[in-house]
Amino acid sequence: MLSINLIRSLKLYKNKIWSLDFSQGILATGSTDRKIKLVSVKDDDFTLIDVLDETAHKKAIRSVAWRPHTSLLAAGSFDSTVSIWAREESAGRTFEMDLLAIIEGHENEVKGVAWSSDGYYLATCSRDKSVWIWETDENGEEYECISVLQEHSQDVKHVTWHPSEALLASSSYDDTVRIWKDYDDDWECVAVLNGHEGTVWSSDFDKTEGMLRLCSGSDDSTVRVWKYMGDDEDGQQEWVCEAILPDVHKRQVYSVTWGFNGLIASVGADGVLAIYEEMGGEWKVLAKHTLCHGVYEINVVKWLQLNGKTILATGGDDGIVNFWSLESFGKDRSKNAD
Amino acid sequence: MSEFLNENPDILEENQLPTRKEDSAKDLLLGGFSNETTVKRRRLLLKIDHSLKSQVLQDIELLDKLLSIRTPPELTSDEDSLPEESEAESVTSQKNEEESELIDAQEIYDLIAHISDPEHPLSLGQLSVVNLEDIDVHDSGNQDEMAEVVIRITPTITHCSLATLIGLGIRVRLERSLPPRFRITILLKKGTHDSENQVNKQLNDKERVAAACENDQLLGVVSKMLVTCK
Repeated sequence: MLSINLIRSLKLYKNKIWSLDFSQGILATGSTDRKIKLVSVKDDDFTLIDVLDETAHKKAIRSVAWRPHTSLLAAGSFDSTVSIWAREESAGRTFEMDLLAIIEGHENEVKGVAWSSDGYYLATCSRDKSVWIWETDENGEEYECISVLQEHSQDVKHVTWHPSEALLASSSYDDTVRIWKDYDDDWECVAVLNGHEGTVWSSDFDKTEGMLRLCSGSDDSTVRVWKYMGDDEDGQQEWVCEAILPDVHKRQVYSVTWGFNGLIASVGADGVLAIYEEMGGEWKVLAKHTLCHGVYEINVVKWLQLNGKTILATGGDDGIVNFWSLESFGKDRSKNAD
Repeated sequence: MSEFLNENPDILEENQLPTRKEDSAKDLLLGGFSNETTVKRRRLLLKIDHSLKSQVLQDIELLDKLLSIRTPPELTSDEDSLPEESEAESVTSQKNEEESELIDAQEIYDLIAHISDPEHPLSLGQLSVVNLEDIDVHDSGNQDEMAEVVIRITPTITHCSLATLIGLGIRVRLERSLPPRFRITILLKKGTHDSENQVNKQLNDKERVAAACENDQLLGVVSKMLVTCK
């Protein structure tokens, strides 16, 4: 077992943190209090650099996402809209973001927003049971809805894109994950992942090239790994549940993240952060940390790259973002343990 | 069978609801240091306030204790020290309570039994929608450990569309009153509702509950239900 060590703890809100995303050295967070906060992270320096205009949304910010390789941020809110924010170039050296667009379309609470790896598609999902795919231009100013996907029978809680392909996964209150694929600008559901016995709160793709796999976390307190097996004659994808990860969580699993290092991390209502490693085709718990946000629940976990190191960030009901590193107790011992 | 489980509940009077106040009140009233006058006085105060936590009652009790132990103090010297002493004591005892206050089913019951039913002019305790024996608490009393409360509610009719609203009222009440270490689970008692699983799922989905709490109309109804809480 390795140990999970707290690097830094940032108290950003009085209320719940629902979501966080990190890109180009800047952490964005969304909270119940409608404020999006931006924290610059450089070396050991953590500085709050901007608080975005809280009047843009009338209800909680549920999800935030940076457009890959840009300073464009999307935020989904319970007020049923999605806001797009861009860096104010004329602000010079200081970092300021302005509201660029408000996207309307969903009937009620937006629960997830996610950019495709090339940044041209934005996917949004809502309690209205639908997933919308928006196409945008280089500047991210115009948004055209190219598909409304309505196959889920209940709220859609979360959306995430494949790291390189035009493949989308959506997690739902109907206990399933659906995989969506682009056929000449027509998005179709190519697979339904059945198995969880409760709401699926989030999912994340394997980052290994040539491997098409997905992990998912659920209300049933389990984390599952799914694997793509091939296409059938009708163009449907066959996916199987490859593994149910070792039983760590005692309550709902709210967030999972699959790192470039091949490790999966999960968090949930029990305040536990767990890291799993695959060894010889079998998943083992590599490290576990309890009460990561005191007695509060953890809503989100993400792997991120900081100073060439891979670390984790978690956000909780206590309004705190914690940064964690994974370290061995002593190399020799961990070697012998194998 | 279970269809009529709680359709026509026997309405309980407020003073018939389970409570631990009576027992402790008797203890208090029959305490060894009492004489007739002090008992009378405290009984009167209890009638007014109905709560043993009343500061006045506690102060009077303390005063009585001191008076029974000591010979009447000399007013010149002790008048100053007496209130100070009692103040200091109440401050420390409050602090200790905060540090390790074990919360039990009766305490949870007291928090939710007085919530008004959304369609009757009665409380959830009176309608037996909430019952003391259907509350499970796992709490070490340690503020730094997680604790759990599971409440099984019994709606008055099996198709009662207001079951979700009642559950939401209970959840909001507990989230506002309990320390953050508590994980709250609210379930419909087995066999009491046609769409048990759907209601249960909804009541325990933190995201839906959070969104509901930002819905002004819904929050207005819930607030009305909570007005009768003590």
